[in-house]
Amino acid sequence: MTSASSATAPVGLRAVGPRQLIAGALVLGGLVVLVLLPQYFLLSSEQRTLAGVFMFVALAQGWNLIGGFAGYPSFGNVVFFGLGGYTTAILMAKSGVPFWVALPISAVVGVVFAVLVGLPVLRLRGHYFAIATLGVAEGMREVVVNLDGLTGGNSGITVPAVGAEAVTSYPGNTGFYFYFLGLALLATAVVWQVSRSRFGYGLRAIAQDEEAAAAAGINTTRLKVAAFALAGLLTALAGSIYAFQQVTIYPARLFSVDITVLMVVMAVIGGSGTVIGPVIGAVALQFLSEWLRTHYTDLHTFIFGAIIVVAVVLLPMGIVSFTRESIAQRRISLLDTVRAYRL
Amino acid sequence: MSTLTDPTRPAFTRPRAGYGPHGARVNREEALMRDVRPVGVWLGLACTVAVLVGGCGKGEGNAGGGGGSSTQGGTLKVGAALSLTGSLAKEGRLTKLGYQFCQDKVNGGDGVQAGDKTYKLAITYKDDKSEPDTAAQLVDQFNDSGNKLILGPYGSPSTEAASAVIERNGQVMVDSSGADNAIFDKGYRNTFAVLSPATSYLAAIVDAISENASPKPKTVAIISADDGFSKTAAKGGADEAKNQGMQVVAMEEVPEHTTNVSSALTKIRPKKPDLVLVSAHVEEGIAAVKQSKELGVNPKGFGETVAPPTPDFAKALGKNAEGVVGSTQWTADSKGQDKVFGTAKEYAEGFKQRFGETAEYHSAEAAAACLALVMGVEKAGSTDPAKVRDAIAGLDTESFFGPIKFDDTGKNADKPMSAIQIQNGEPVTIYPSDQAQAKLQWPAG
Amino acid sequence: MTQFLQATVNGLLQGGLLALVAVGFSLVWGVMNIVNLAHGAFVLIGSYIAWKLQTGADIAPLLGMVVAAAALFAGGYVIQRYLINLVVNAPIWMTLLLTFGLSLVLVNGLVLLFTGDFRSIHTSYGSDSLAIGDIRIPYGRLIAFVLAVGFTLALVWFMDRTRLGLAIKATGMDRGAARLMGVTVRRVYGLTFAIAAGLAGAAGAIYGTVDTFSPANAGIFTLQSFVIAVLGGLGNMWGALAGGLLLGVVQAWSGQYLGGTLINAVAFAVLVTVLVIRPAGLLGKPYYEARVEV
Repeated sequence: MTSASSATAPVGLRAVGPRQLIAGALVLGGLVVLVLLPQYFLLSSEQRTLAGVFMFVALAQGWNLIGGFAGYPSFGNVVFFGLGGYTTAILMAKSGVPFWVALPISAVVGVVFAVLVGLPVLRLRGHYFAIATLGVAEGMREVVVNLDGLTGGNSGITVPAVGAEAVTSYPGNTGFYFYFLGLALLATAVVWQVSRSRFGYGLRAIAQDEEAAAAAGINTTRLKVAAFALAGLLTALAGSIYAFQQVTIYPARLFSVDITVLMVVMAVIGGSGTVIGPVIGAVALQFLSEWLRTHYTDLHTFIFGAIIVVAVVLLPMGIVSFTRESIAQRRISLLDTVRAYRL
Repeated sequence: MSTLTDPTRPAFTRPRAGYGPHGARVNREEALMRDVRPVGVWLGLACTVAVLVGGCGKGEGNAGGGGGSSTQGGTLKVGAALSLTGSLAKEGRLTKLGYQFCQDKVNGGDGVQAGDKTYKLAITYKDDKSEPDTAAQLVDQFNDSGNKLILGPYGSPSTEAASAVIERNGQVMVDSSGADNAIFDKGYRNTFAVLSPATSYLAAIVDAISENASPKPKTVAIISADDGFSKTAAKGGADEAKNQGMQVVAMEEVPEHTTNVSSALTKIRPKKPDLVLVSAHVEEGIAAVKQSKELGVNPKGFGETVAPPTPDFAKALGKNAEGVVGSTQWTADSKGQDKVFGTAKEYAEGFKQRFGETAEYHSAEAAAACLALVMGVEKAGSTDPAKVRDAIAGLDTESFFGPIKFDDTGKNADKPMSAIQIQNGEPVTIYPSDQAQAKLQWPAG
Repeated sequence: MTQFLQATVNGLLQGGLLALVAVGFSLVWGVMNIVNLAHGAFVLIGSYIAWKLQTGADIAPLLGMVVAAAALFAGGYVIQRYLINLVVNAPIWMTLLLTFGLSLVLVNGLVLLFTGDFRSIHTSYGSDSLAIGDIRIPYGRLIAFVLAVGFTLALVWFMDRTRLGLAIKATGMDRGAARLMGVTVRRVYGLTFAIAAGLAGAAGAIYGTVDTFSPANAGIFTLQSFVIAVLGGLGNMWGALAGGLLLGVVQAWSGQYLGGTLINAVAFAVLVTVLVIRPAGLLGKPYYEARVEV
């Protein structure tokens, strides 16, 4: 199976110019700031809020691989999140397995499930694929609800996190800040590697024209399933850490279609198929929704909906492509895209 | 960041004179409309555009540190994460009314007397979108903004999620609506519930009927929604029915939030039970009564946990609601009184005057939770959370809500549940007998 | 046997109503290739209009249904013409996101206007039912079923027998060719969406007379529409009717014989299975799969 790391970059080593140096310095500086932030600048609850932002960066990047690069709009990615979370919770609560063992097992479960589901479902295209993945996620939630001997059903399942029963000590808000930061960096690094690998070009070719890609000798099934599995891996890792962070988890939340929709919205508004777009989308939307919630106690969801509508109409290609175009053409016009897509 | 939504701003105006019987609803809608601040909406949109273009950075986005206003010695800052939007918006709103009413009564009276100081109660509300993880996150935010005292969110999942955080932060929470016993099995010390636990919801109905019905029902069928609270309550009811010598002929589960229970009813119909008990929420409860009439399931009586006392129930079912027995944490006939609200009757009158709608149990639970917190602070003579925690644990008092005395796990274990029956379109208290306003009608409906 | 027949009757009655809920959704998907996530919100708005007319102005539910359908027809046209048309050629997840945002706005608007309380529309026949032996057929659900099936059949007739209906079908099959034949695609799209929204409004009003509703129901309506549209085949009106009835019966049977909490799991299992084995739907024709986008 092709994976991100084993594929080689087609261009080989490029010369390191001043632009790469500046970019490298910026990334490094940003990382130092992110690492130092919790100790010196952030309240505990703000660390938790940021941990949520990082989690959504990872989720949006996961979606980006299958939805953005391969062009398969999954509406059921939350199924990996839920499976990862429940695998971890069940292992920790029922078998007393430490978190650091449960985490990789959850990731494996995510990958295996992605392959098993991906093989039949990735034969479908467009809306059919979207609906099938949605059906898988909703169906899996019902299964988890009904296996209440194992999962606690709708009463939820509680990870032993405090006192003598705790197998892994609870790392607190600062700990989860770093876990999720690490995951977000991992996810972004994976997407970055994919974007410049043969694998990534193959996925883009599939998104452009699958028949042509197949005709050009790309094993489309293998690539699509690999992308789906990689998305499953990242998303299951997020679910696993999330379950430990939350202590008690419920199927209604862990398989919530709202979480899938947020992944898609973040990736798309940021710029799907780009490396940095999902990061921008996740950061912008998480802060926006926090800000709206604190300022408009009753109205925030209403406003959030309206903002999605406006953003989709004005920025259908995402912030990254829009900015790129604006710089290239030296003008900002929000209506260009409307002209391109309206009927 | 500047202040949050001003907690002292009255979100609901008094009913104007001359509005007549429908004044209440008009008034509420008007109040809701008032919350639509057009300027604010545009500001929000403007900021979005700013965010999308790349500005409006982290400083504004991460407003977690806001909290209440400044820490004047005279303000007792209390936080409440509530379901104001999302699937539990209805119950979240009722809970908020209870908290608001409590704040008004306390501040309109003597305030909170702790030691030699007098505090004004200032409750800050945040919306958890009906999501447990958000409720937990908000409790963390409250902690950082100095709100160590917390009033519970709506529903068992959110309460359970919040109570884990409360415990870690050394905050204190009085829970107004998380009744599932599971919350209290975890050994948490800082969460207290003014409620009778979930196991007593259906059991109270069984007791009310077996005490007053003649002939006493011999067979009972139980339909339960598949959420934690409903399943716990159903189990409590089944156990009590067996204790009372009844035979449980069927136990059926339906998905939470469904409005189609015809399969469960079709299955129990041939067993012809004397009594059908439903452990569920409002939507499943309404559907169960309506669809039994449609399908010709005609037991001698119908009992449902939380649906019948809510006004929606009788409104939605009309004459089909007649005779349905329900259990409730509180009625206007509950025994006991306190210095803030007076008796249950006085509470009900004051509530109706304040909000223009009839007092029901969600808001009463909330007001009682708030009352327990205030009493804890006064007894402790301090706002220090550890002292308040110990004071609340030692409370042994009565209130408009009934007795308030917590057991080791934090449950208000001795508080009796009441049972009501819909008679002539209104819920009437029928149990316990010392509060009963009418006799159980049997066979019912 | 009685049990089985009663379960089947329950399922058919419920299924007829579900078919009407879903038929507009299927139409829009089939013709415009748009998955309208706000469809459930449209249904609910229909319920609220009929409910408000009854409680506020004492207008009979049947008349309320007509008003709800008309109001949503007009609203649907406007939404399509001035909002959805702006991204109609964008990649598909754009329209998904747009309609998702729209549904957030509509559902939360309903919460702000009417609170999250549960409502229902009262009818004179209440919950009386027709007894045939041991089988009960509730009048309310029977009337709802007849109306729902009637509307669906009327739509089938409209699509097959009128010039406009044929224009809609033609546009769905090949937009470019339809345009060459003199069809104004913009207008056809507007009308298609308006018809779908109007039917959703009627479905909502009818639904309100047999069941309770609150703004939180919107998501369930949309999900059921998904399942039915896929089962029946996109844009296939007969398929929507068959899909609705099938879903109703399958859910009733699984509730009867597998346990009440499994009915949703069964519905999704059926959905995924049909998609994988026969993506065009049970009655769908292959050309809906291989449509040409110009």
